[in-house]
Amino acid sequence: MLEDRISSSESEGAFNEFIEERLESLSEEVLSEGNLENMADRGSDIIVELDTIEPPRLIYESPGGGEGEGPGGAQPGRDPGKLRFVLTFQRIMELLGRKLNLPNLKKEGEGKIKRLSYEFKTFGPLGVILDKKRTFKRALKTSIAMGEYNPAAGKTSVSILRRDKRFKLPETIEKPRHRAVVFYMGDVSYSTEGERLDMEKRLVQIIQGWIDYNYGPKNVEHRFFVHDVNATEVNAADFYNVTNAGGTRAAAVFELVSQVALSEYNPGSTNFYAFYFGDGELFEDDQREVVQIVDQTLRPYFNRIGLVEILPSHFSSLNKHARSRYPNDRVVRLAEIKQKSQTLQVIKTLFGEVYAQY
Amino acid sequence: MRNISADARLGGLWERVQHYARGFGRTLPEIRFFVLDPLEFASLLEKNVYPVSPVNIWEGRNMVSKRHRIETGQESALYYEVVQCGNPSYAYLNNTNSDMTQASVMAHVVGHCEFSELNVLCDSKPNRSEYVMHLVRKANMGRTQMGDLHSTEYWNACESIVPLISPNSQYNLANSVDSDLEMPLREKVQEPAREAEPKRAQPYSSTLQALFKPTQEESAFRRELKQKIKKETLSRRGYRLKAPCQDVMGFLRSYAPASFGERAILNYLYTVHAPQDFIMRTQIMNEGWAMYWEKKIMLELFKEKAVTGIIDYARVFSGVCYPRPFFARNPYHLGYHLWCEVEKLYSEGKVTLEYIEEKDRLVKESWNRPGQRQPIEAMTHLVRTITDYEFLRRFLTPELVQKFHLNRVDKRTAKALGIKPSDVIREDNQHVWIDPKPVLPQMLDFFAHFNRPCVFVVDTDFNDGGLLLLHRYDGRKLKKKWIEPTLRNVNLIWKAPVYLVSENHLFQYAAGAYKDVEIDELDFEQVAERIRKDEKPFKTH
Repeated sequence: MLEDRISSSESEGAFNEFIEERLESLSEEVLSEGNLENMADRGSDIIVELDTIEPPRLIYESPGGGEGEGPGGAQPGRDPGKLRFVLTFQRIMELLGRKLNLPNLKKEGEGKIKRLSYEFKTFGPLGVILDKKRTFKRALKTSIAMGEYNPAAGKTSVSILRRDKRFKLPETIEKPRHRAVVFYMGDVSYSTEGERLDMEKRLVQIIQGWIDYNYGPKNVEHRFFVHDVNATEVNAADFYNVTNAGGTRAAAVFELVSQVALSEYNPGSTNFYAFYFGDGELFEDDQREVVQIVDQTLRPYFNRIGLVEILPSHFSSLNKHARSRYPNDRVVRLAEIKQKSQTLQVIKTLFGEVYAQY
Repeated sequence: MRNISADARLGGLWERVQHYARGFGRTLPEIRFFVLDPLEFASLLEKNVYPVSPVNIWEGRNMVSKRHRIETGQESALYYEVVQCGNPSYAYLNNTNSDMTQASVMAHVVGHCEFSELNVLCDSKPNRSEYVMHLVRKANMGRTQMGDLHSTEYWNACESIVPLISPNSQYNLANSVDSDLEMPLREKVQEPAREAEPKRAQPYSSTLQALFKPTQEESAFRRELKQKIKKETLSRRGYRLKAPCQDVMGFLRSYAPASFGERAILNYLYTVHAPQDFIMRTQIMNEGWAMYWEKKIMLELFKEKAVTGIIDYARVFSGVCYPRPFFARNPYHLGYHLWCEVEKLYSEGKVTLEYIEEKDRLVKESWNRPGQRQPIEAMTHLVRTITDYEFLRRFLTPELVQKFHLNRVDKRTAKALGIKPSDVIREDNQHVWIDPKPVLPQMLDFFAHFNRPCVFVVDTDFNDGGLLLLHRYDGRKLKKKWIEPTLRNVNLIWKAPVYLVSENHLFQYAAGAYKDVEIDELDFEQVAERIRKDEKPFKTH
């Protein structure tokens, strides 16, 4: 009476379909609230952790006590409050683009760097990979012509002669390669901990993902810089961990980035992106210097420059100052983030159409 | 999944377990054992311990998460035992367990199956698993008729009312609803009317007498009227509420308008979830009974060396029976030790009127007068006649609460619960002990509500065809943001407006609109009385 194997695969499939259908509406929650594990491993699938879905029921506002467990008591190691599922990197970026109506990033430098690939478009009598379909077609024609194949007469043999064989031949194809370099600049003179660090990390993850999605992960280089009074380059992990309680001078990091960009890369074939994260509390002369570097050194070569104030205070004035110079600029984008739920709004400001800015 | 008959070693163990169980005089249904791998085990649990289930996202949700946890080593998948009681019963063994564990599971299952077979709530049903498989086929057939989208939507709506199943409540379907199917039967079994006795000559009925006894004539009229209304209602709708009905899902399953596919989903969900009520009402007795017989049988198996590893077994047993505070309820621990105490009481003849009425303390303390009935017989009689509530009420004394450490709380939990130092009667480095006397009443309170809101169907024709539900308010508010989606789901099943009264609110969901209106609080007893009198339990105007 019992089936050979007890399995929930059909129900798992139904659940995955259910999630897939609702991903469009869930995408905002996934990106701004979900735990995006593996996002830092570029291009890999992402394990998303969200609050679980539950059928609504008439229950008490605050269920009390530990009584009323089902048969056998609680199951080991179960976390009923969380729902984990896997999303492909491509899928989540598609969702992001569709949700925020983001245009594809403009790719410059076409024709200067080529990517070589091979496609099997031609076929010849000599080669290594036999094209069985073409070979059989030719052999069949020959056999019919020679009278070897005639089903009406009961002859059904097809002989494959050497001259009938056709092989797949590779053809070299040149495709333009778009290269991009992204500079992330962080202010470590303020306390990047707790919520502030979470917001910054999430923003960087999504920016990384979006640029990787547009150019292909292999064509993008992500570089991280931090500054207090001086600026220095760090690796990705340290970008979130370095802190310093001293003074601050943001112009130093913009200077360093401009030097690195223009000396290490060919501006004619590279797409530059730069994003600055800080609390925006800078001295007036520092702000002026930053805007000057952006205006004179970076803006002519960079595809996009974002200045993001994270949890700005009453004294944050970098964006106020920059806004007077770039009220609605195609390249220089200004954004503030005060809570986690504004993550997507900031991404839209950084990558959306100019007229779509908030 | 494989039958244990394919495994000589396990088959042999099962024979020995059966041998000893029969030797102890146990009443056993046919029990069939199967061996599963960890993922099958996890899947079986998500299917409510039936081997198949209709496709649904909730099972999928749990399994996606569980599979990930098992495959990444976050969950051990070492389950102790799973059994679907009935006749035949189906029990499942985990293929990662040792022979000793498999034998203990078999012995444990013996206890569960007997309990299910004998208990007053009559949990055991013939061919239960086979019947559920039949319902699964009907639900699958219904799914093809309804289409995936509608079927999923209806299933999800039904999930909202799964906790509202109470087949063993005093307000269950049989006690609350008159059905046109049952009425003729009930009339048939009525005794034939006796010939009326000749009416005695009555003295002249004065006006005063008429004033003193005016109700007799009126009540006869009212009785007649009630009968008439009852018959009319039954012939019109097929059912009639005679009391509030706590088995809300049972009511909707029987009387909500539904297509074949919808009814199949309701039937399946009700059938697989209804035994939960039995489990909640008997968990302490049931697990205790299973542990009691498991230990007895295992000791015999160790004696004859059918299995080895008595030290490991003792370790597992004491882990399972580890004492927990009364609010965290470990039914294995409490049940097992309470059954042992009950056995001792019966063997010393202390469950007698003489013992209770004895005034001399010294006599009472040295009391040992075994009765004619064997303790096991008396214990089996308890299984046949009572549930956890009565079991605890009769046998759990404050001394036993103290002995079983039910009033012992670790200090961190005590702090989290806000236990005051004045409530503590004893403490050591790790634990505090609270007064054992209030423990029993608090444990008994659980059986009044099972930590779930008590919701009743009180009117099926409210505001012209609406279903009125009443939450029996006990000072705890319902989770407000879930009321609207739940009512929307009930509305999908009832296919007419749905109302819920909770505290001083009337929540209503009708024609896609949700409203929350303030009203005067409704008293449950008053509502029940009105239903009994065939009056409307509640009117909005």
